[in-house]
Order: sequence, then C-alpha cells, then structure tokens
Amino acid sequence: MAVALARLLRDDETVFFGVASPLPMVAALLAKRLHAPSLTILTIPGGVDPRPASLPLSTVDPLLLSGAVARITLADVFDLSARGRLDTAFLGGVQIDGQGRINLSAIGDPRHPKVRLPGGAGSAALMPTARRTVLWRTRHDTRTFVAELPFVTAAGNVDRVVTPLCVFQRIDGLLTVESVHPFSTADAVRAATGFPLTDAAAWPSTPPPTPDELAALREIDPAGRVAAEFAGR
Amino acid sequence: MSDKRRTLAEAVASIPDGSTLALGGNTLHRAPAAAVHELIRQHKRGLHLVKTAGAYDVDLLCGLGCATAVSAGFVGYETVFGLAPLYRRAVEGGTVEAREHACYTIIAGLRAASQGVPFMPLNGLQGSDLVELRGFKSVRDPYAGEDVLVVPAIVPDVALIHVQAADASGDCRILGSQFEDVLMARAARRVIVTAERVVTRDELAADPAHTAIPGFLVDTVVEAPRGAWPTSCAGLYDYDEAFIGELLAHAGDPAGLRAFVEARLLAEATPA
Repeated sequence: MAVALARLLRDDETVFFGVASPLPMVAALLAKRLHAPSLTILTIPGGVDPRPASLPLSTVDPLLLSGAVARITLADVFDLSARGRLDTAFLGGVQIDGQGRINLSAIGDPRHPKVRLPGGAGSAALMPTARRTVLWRTRHDTRTFVAELPFVTAAGNVDRVVTPLCVFQRIDGLLTVESVHPFSTADAVRAATGFPLTDAAAWPSTPPPTPDELAALREIDPAGRVAAEFAGR
Repeated sequence: MSDKRRTLAEAVASIPDGSTLALGGNTLHRAPAAAVHELIRQHKRGLHLVKTAGAYDVDLLCGLGCATAVSAGFVGYETVFGLAPLYRRAVEGGTVEAREHACYTIIAGLRAASQGVPFMPLNGLQGSDLVELRGFKSVRDPYAGEDVLVVPAIVPDVALIHVQAADASGDCRILGSQFEDVLMARAARRVIVTAERVVTRDELAADPAHTAIPGFLVDTVVEAPRGAWPTSCAGLYDYDEAFIGELLAHAGDPAGLRAFVEARLLAEATPA
C-alpha cells in the first residue's frame, strides 16, 4: 500500500499528510527518494521536507521537524489549499462511500452517536480545496466501503483510494476499480465492497512493488512503522 | 516589567467553572498537562475545550467529569493508541457534547477572535455535513457577489499553553512546532503559560526569533518542569507511551481510573 500511494505522487508537487498517517508519511518519503526528488512534503508540526533519522508513530511528532528546510504552521497548509495551491492531500476515512466521500465523525446519529469517532481533522477543509485528494484505508470490508454514510464528514476532489485489496479511481464522480493488488482477487474486492462496482473483467492487476521500491521502503521504514496501521483500528 | 509568576494552584484557581479553555499543543505533543491535572485536582466543572487536535488532555478532562463540551477537529491518540476512550464514552453517554469542527474552522474562529471581528470567511467544507451540524452560515460577498462560508469567532476565556521557557513577565520561547499556540494567545481573553523553566529576559532576548509569544499577551506564568508530561515537549522529552498505556488500561472502569489518577497524577508532583 505504501508503494501504491507513493506512485501516485508526482515530482515538483506539494503533498500534505495529517494526524494518524504513518502510511502516507512513508509513501511521501518513498516517492521523494524514488521518482519525485523535488516533491515538497508538508506536515502538521510544520516541517517542510523533513528528513527524520527515525520515523515516529505519531505523525504530529517533533521528529517531523528534524532535517526540515523550513518551518510553517498547520494554518499555512490550510491556507495553501484554500487558495488552490496544495497539489495532493492524503486523507483517511473510517467509512467511504461510492462517491469517495468519507465519514470520520460518528456511527449513528451524529448528535447522539452510537460510536463517537475521532473527527475529520483537516479533511472537510482540504478535500474540496486540494487539487486532488488520495484516500487510504487499511481495512477493506463492507462496513468500511459502504453504499450510504450516516454522516458526510468531508467530500471533494478525491482522485484515488488505496486499500489493502485494490486501487480505486474516481471517474465521473464514482469510485471505479483501477487495479486489483496481486495478492487479492476481483471476487474478494467485490465481496468486500458495499457499493456497486463496474464489470470486473476490465480490472487489471496492480504492478507488484519493484526491487528498487522495496529496497527504498526498507531503508526509509526499517522499523516497519506502516505495520502499526494494520493493527486494530 | 511586572512579575506574573504564580503557583500552579493559584493560576488554575482563577479559572471559573464553565470557562471556555483553549489548550495548546497538538495530540500527544506539548499539551498543558500539568495545568490539566490541576484542573482535575480542583474539581473544575462545565469546561468547554477548544483545540484543533487533542488527545490526552481532552480525553482526561472528559473522563474525569471536568469538561461538558469539546470543540475540536480531532480527538484521538493517533495510531499509537487509537480512539480516545474516555472522550468517546462521555460523548456516547451524553455527558460531553462533541462540537465537531474541521481543524481549519477552529483556526478560522480563533483568527476572527484574534482580529477582533465577529466571523471569518473560509474556503472549504463544500459537501460536508459539518456545515449544517455546526450551523455555519454563508454570507454574500459584497464585492464579488458570491456566497462565502463564515465561521463565528471563538473567543476562549483562557488559553492554557505549555512552553519550553518563559521569563517572569510572560515572554515565551517555543521550540519545535508552535501548533496553534501563537494564535490562541492572541484570541483568548486571558493567557496562562506553564513553562519548563523560568529564565531571565536577557536569555530570551539573546534569541528573539524563538520568542513565539511576547509577554504583553500573557497574564500568568507558572514554572512547571515536565509540565507537558506525559505528552512530549520538543527537545526535552518524548511522550510517555508506557504511562499513557497504563492510564488507558483503566478506561473501561471509572472507579479504577479515578483511583489511578489520584495516585499517579494528583497525589504527588509531576515525576522528574
């Protein structure tokens, strides 16, 4: 998933990831190491292009200021996005619908929730204003990818959604399977997705990580911080 | 310059029940934890907490009955411990009102307060149910004629901010990220600062670029070594994962939680 996320980033662009985002952190550093050396990485602590000696689990950690070339504020990132100059925002969703809208607020009535979720953080502001949003979610099942959201925390310029099973691309406002990961199948994707999908015959396989990508991933994240995202949640 | 130093107990005693409190720091980092512990020690009630992204501070004040409302974009321990269980139970049980914001609408509300205007226009939130949930309105731009979302000012009664160093008149050095602290210091009616060290004015004047909050904005200074513990304080200590884990092990048991907090947080001074 880290490799699939990294491949979506382009050189000479700006990318932001927020709270609780180890996978996007690794993906951004990976893209910068591989194909996007002039990528500008922005973070909540405000480090511009951090070069941390080790990776934190908390993506608000002061480690994300170390080696940075400049320091800005979170408000600066929102302002950048609001004036249309943030290229990519990495955002997550506890639930995601077929239009790529997300719920991070509550299960059940948001005023009297059955389950109170952490909240959308920056997503409601960034999703409609960033040039494109890439969503990620470490769980792909019918409770996560749903036909209807109880609450729309954020909606907007979703371009891709990366899951443990596949990559979705949003085309004409609807999530469409772009590729299925090599260790998954079209049937598994269909069974785990709560909204309607197009004909599976057209779904190609996600190109597996190359040796270069895997080597760079191991160098950037030797402690396997990305793995923490798959534990529970 | 006047000497604004007070004890932690005196500073926190000046905060009435029902106050709106802006809490500095972000998630597990540089939260005003010593002040939070003192709020619990003094049995404050009815607090309304304001923060872009909170974790330990918000969770604890909700879990121990001090807070009744939280305006925040995010409340959780990130990937480290996941959801904030005390906050979650308080909201689901109806004792705390979750006033969910986007982080940017917290910032916009504080900006309005800091500029002395009643609301702040904002580009964002298109398609989000938060607009209706929060009752955010739009106004007609009198120049271009288009509708623009406006967020009401958020004026905290008190901002509680923990910093690495301050002098007796309240000038504050912040190392590492400033988060929203500088903005909070301008938006709030009163500013209470806890500092790892109280230093001389000359020491701060030697490096004015790091004096993030000048003393004329600050009302009260408290010397509080390790005052962000168990959250991190950049350059000095990391967050205390073991301690927070121990605390959260009591999350499902209110009596056990209170006993743990009494014994480990309230009975003694902050561990060195």
